[in-house]
Amino acid sequence: MHPLLIVVLAPVSVLVLSLLIPSTRLLSRIAPVLFFVQLAAMAFSLFPVLAGQEKVFCLLPELCVDRLGALFSLLTQVVVAAATTHAVVFFEQDDAHNLQNTRSVRIFYACSSLLLLAMTAVYFCDNLGFIWIALETTTLCSASLVYYHGTKHSLEAAWKYLIICSVGIAFALFGTVLIFASSQYGATPKGSLNLSELSAHAEYLRYPLLRLGFLFCLLGYGTKAGIFPLHGWVPDAYSAAPAPASAMLSGGLLNCSLFAIWRLCELVRASGHDSFVQHGTLTIGVTTVIAASIFLVHQHGIKRLFAYSSIENVGLMIIAIGLGSGHLFFLLAFNLSVAKVALFLTVGNIVQSTGTKAIADIHGLLAKNPQWALVLLAGSLAVSGAPPFGVFLAEWGLLVHITQFHHWLVVAGLVIGLTISFLAVMFHVGKIVCGTCRPGDISFYPWRSVLVPAGLMVVSLIAGVSGLSQLF
Amino acid sequence: MSLSLNDLVAFSIAVCAILMVGSTHLRLNIFLFSLQTMLLVYLSTLYAHHHAEEHLYLIALALFALKAVGVPVFLLRIIRQVHVQRDAGTLLSAPIAMHTALAFLAVSYMLARQLPVPPSAGLGWPGATAAISLVCTGLLLMLTRRIALSQIIGFLVMENGIYLFGLTQTRGMPMLVEMGVMLDVLVGVMISGLLAFRIQKSFEHIDVSMLVDSKE
Amino acid sequence: MVNQLYITAFYVLFALLAPPVTLGTICKVKARLQNRIGAPLWQPIFDILKLLRKDETLSKTASWVFRFAAAINCSLAIYLVVSVPWLQPKPEWGGIDLFTFVYLLAAMRLFTLLAAMDTGSAFGAFAASREATLSFLVEPASVLSLASLGIVSNSPQLNIIFGFHNMHAFHPGLWAISGTALLLASIVELSRMPIDDPTTHLELTMVHEAMLLEASGRNLLLFEYANTLKLTVLFGLSAQCYLHLIPLPVDSRWEVYAIGSVVMLLVVAVTVAVFEALAVKLHWTKAPDFIAYAITLAVIGSILALGAGGI
Repeated sequence: MHPLLIVVLAPVSVLVLSLLIPSTRLLSRIAPVLFFVQLAAMAFSLFPVLAGQEKVFCLLPELCVDRLGALFSLLTQVVVAAATTHAVVFFEQDDAHNLQNTRSVRIFYACSSLLLLAMTAVYFCDNLGFIWIALETTTLCSASLVYYHGTKHSLEAAWKYLIICSVGIAFALFGTVLIFASSQYGATPKGSLNLSELSAHAEYLRYPLLRLGFLFCLLGYGTKAGIFPLHGWVPDAYSAAPAPASAMLSGGLLNCSLFAIWRLCELVRASGHDSFVQHGTLTIGVTTVIAASIFLVHQHGIKRLFAYSSIENVGLMIIAIGLGSGHLFFLLAFNLSVAKVALFLTVGNIVQSTGTKAIADIHGLLAKNPQWALVLLAGSLAVSGAPPFGVFLAEWGLLVHITQFHHWLVVAGLVIGLTISFLAVMFHVGKIVCGTCRPGDISFYPWRSVLVPAGLMVVSLIAGVSGLSQLF
Repeated sequence: MSLSLNDLVAFSIAVCAILMVGSTHLRLNIFLFSLQTMLLVYLSTLYAHHHAEEHLYLIALALFALKAVGVPVFLLRIIRQVHVQRDAGTLLSAPIAMHTALAFLAVSYMLARQLPVPPSAGLGWPGATAAISLVCTGLLLMLTRRIALSQIIGFLVMENGIYLFGLTQTRGMPMLVEMGVMLDVLVGVMISGLLAFRIQKSFEHIDVSMLVDSKE
Repeated sequence: MVNQLYITAFYVLFALLAPPVTLGTICKVKARLQNRIGAPLWQPIFDILKLLRKDETLSKTASWVFRFAAAINCSLAIYLVVSVPWLQPKPEWGGIDLFTFVYLLAAMRLFTLLAAMDTGSAFGAFAASREATLSFLVEPASVLSLASLGIVSNSPQLNIIFGFHNMHAFHPGLWAISGTALLLASIVELSRMPIDDPTTHLELTMVHEAMLLEASGRNLLLFEYANTLKLTVLFGLSAQCYLHLIPLPVDSRWEVYAIGSVVMLLVVAVTVAVFEALAVKLHWTKAPDFIAYAITLAVIGSILALGAGGI
């Protein structure tokens, strides 16, 4: 079986089915099955690369993935499969309250499958130009996901998302062209966008052009990830999108843009300008973490709260990328993605049952729905970096790694930022979880609605407690 | 020293963008954008002929069909549906915005002088000046205009600038990449146009500065 | 030597004929575009002859400045026609440099303003203030466009800038941009559409006509003739700029330049007429937007001249 089919078959079939099948119940049940099958097939074919027996796994001559890319693509697959599994319950609840629009659900599944295809393509592409195209495709698909509800709020969020990310991605294209221009002075006179070629002849890349290109790409792909000055779209988009879509955006899409930045950092490092990369990324990372933690103090919406927490996570991951540690980068990404997906799905449940997104209007979750409350607490602890979850190990490892480079200011800034954000998140979550519940609140508890989030939190716990992190 | 024909065409593309900033009349903006893209197509063909790069001919053709003709027609249709003729308010008034774009032109001239001379082109800096000034002008359009359609036009001008940079500083990016970029930009414009139409239906205007941040 | 005689004769003849004919062309083309027959091409000549025969009516509150200013205005206009190279080939009479040219235009304007305010009517003063505002807004455009041409030709003398014997390098882009900037600036200086409608009857919106409301008979003739001459000189200069776009060989015969200039002047007149027929008169507060276009083009021309031509 041609390796390309492993990656392409499931999303394309879901896309085709979403256009053909009129029944959303059937569609929402078939999709997760197909995605889990794809997960198994990918895990099986990527096993040699993961185990270190082979360097790369190729779908086509231009589409090769190395170990880190394989790990990330599997993570993305897990995220999407989990999100679509939960989406079954989510859409059922919508259906029960007669809030559902069949056409919107089918568009949701079509765009999710395209999103998965594009996200996987980012990891598999060896060519800077193709990475750009894949990321732009993810922007377009996810804009449709953000617009799912069709309300004024989601319209505004989708518009802001599209415009800000378009500006960002245009900068990234400019940076790509600059890197292409820098490559035509040496071994490849016609210029090349192929990453393996560029890394092999990295010392021939003209430094001024390369530096400018790297800066623009960092800004551009960073906009897509949500670094500090350009994060404006993140709270609105995460808040307006339905819960499975927010989970996919924060758990999958974030990693894609960060992976693109990782590839670029590797390239600049290969051409010998390590300190420049470090300075740039460390500055951006620390600023993002501190700014996000300050914003977290004063939040009114539950989804916006965790969106700002996502922004903070991006800061941490950028620091890991800047220091050149792929191991730490993936560790952070894995633990944070798993926790965030669980979190956003639970929050989606809460929003659906109470009908409001404002923190001030939600009380007494522990009394009403202890299972949801437990998962919410576990998720918030995980996302803020508390033990025993895997995130704690990853953040600790990151701090240790930074001290090895003697960046004391960075360590201090990170510690302050992480502390503030932990306090802020737990304060707001505490307001939700504790307290008495008002009589007359809608309360429902299908056990299936907590299955996926709880499962993911268990995975995170295992990752934190056992030595799973050594595997990566 | 005088500029060659290539450099003059590149410069007139930048001049088109600067004139675009000075007018709030949407149809005039779209016309200037179409003119600018056709000049870009002409420049592509000149380069294709001069450097004997076959793929630039195809890219020029796609650019003409999609961006010089297709996108303006689509945008004119949206204008007709949305019933907007002028950009009512802008953050910077039109003359000041135009003079700011001129300042950006001077800045891009200084930036372009710092770039290394490309091995393929004769005089690298006029093309680079025009390209960088196009990107800055597109950014200016996107940030200072309030009408959703002007922001789309600004994005398209930025894409033109990036393509011009690739054209004058390199021999043009690989064809597959350019086609992919154009396709993505096109789909983006279509989705934005649809959203703009929805905004008008929802809000009765397409003034995006009035889309107030939700505090939910 | 004989050549010079021919050139001088041609120049004088054209200087007498061109102003009325240019104005007549503009009005005729505009009329045809508006689906009217319009006045014949020679109508301005008939108007001149008519005004010569008419009596004057002077306001009681007007002083000697009123008639004096009209005469000065007309003489300055005739001096401009003689010294500015708005038509090639030009006989070897004295030339002026570009700053003197701008100052002469300003001097003409000064005397017109004096005459307008002298009669004490409100409309005259109002129009005078508008004319003054427009002139200082548009001055950067005219100066910068001529200056960028001067930088490229290494001299501020208009004869040398526009002369065909000094073309060592071919700068089509610069000539096109400066020519367009000069044309737009001329439209503003002459208060034609879209700044102000020359055929309007609404005194509150007039810029140039309101200043002449009180003039009649020979006074009016002097003012109108001066305006026609100014129009011809300014449009002639723009036509010369566009003529430099054509790569004529440096040492051609003078007839080539003559025919080229005449044809270009007509082309510019027709273009202005078409523009006037299609344009809508701008609201007074929107006039600076139009002027900004002229200034922008002039600045772009100067950037081009400084960057590419070199000082």
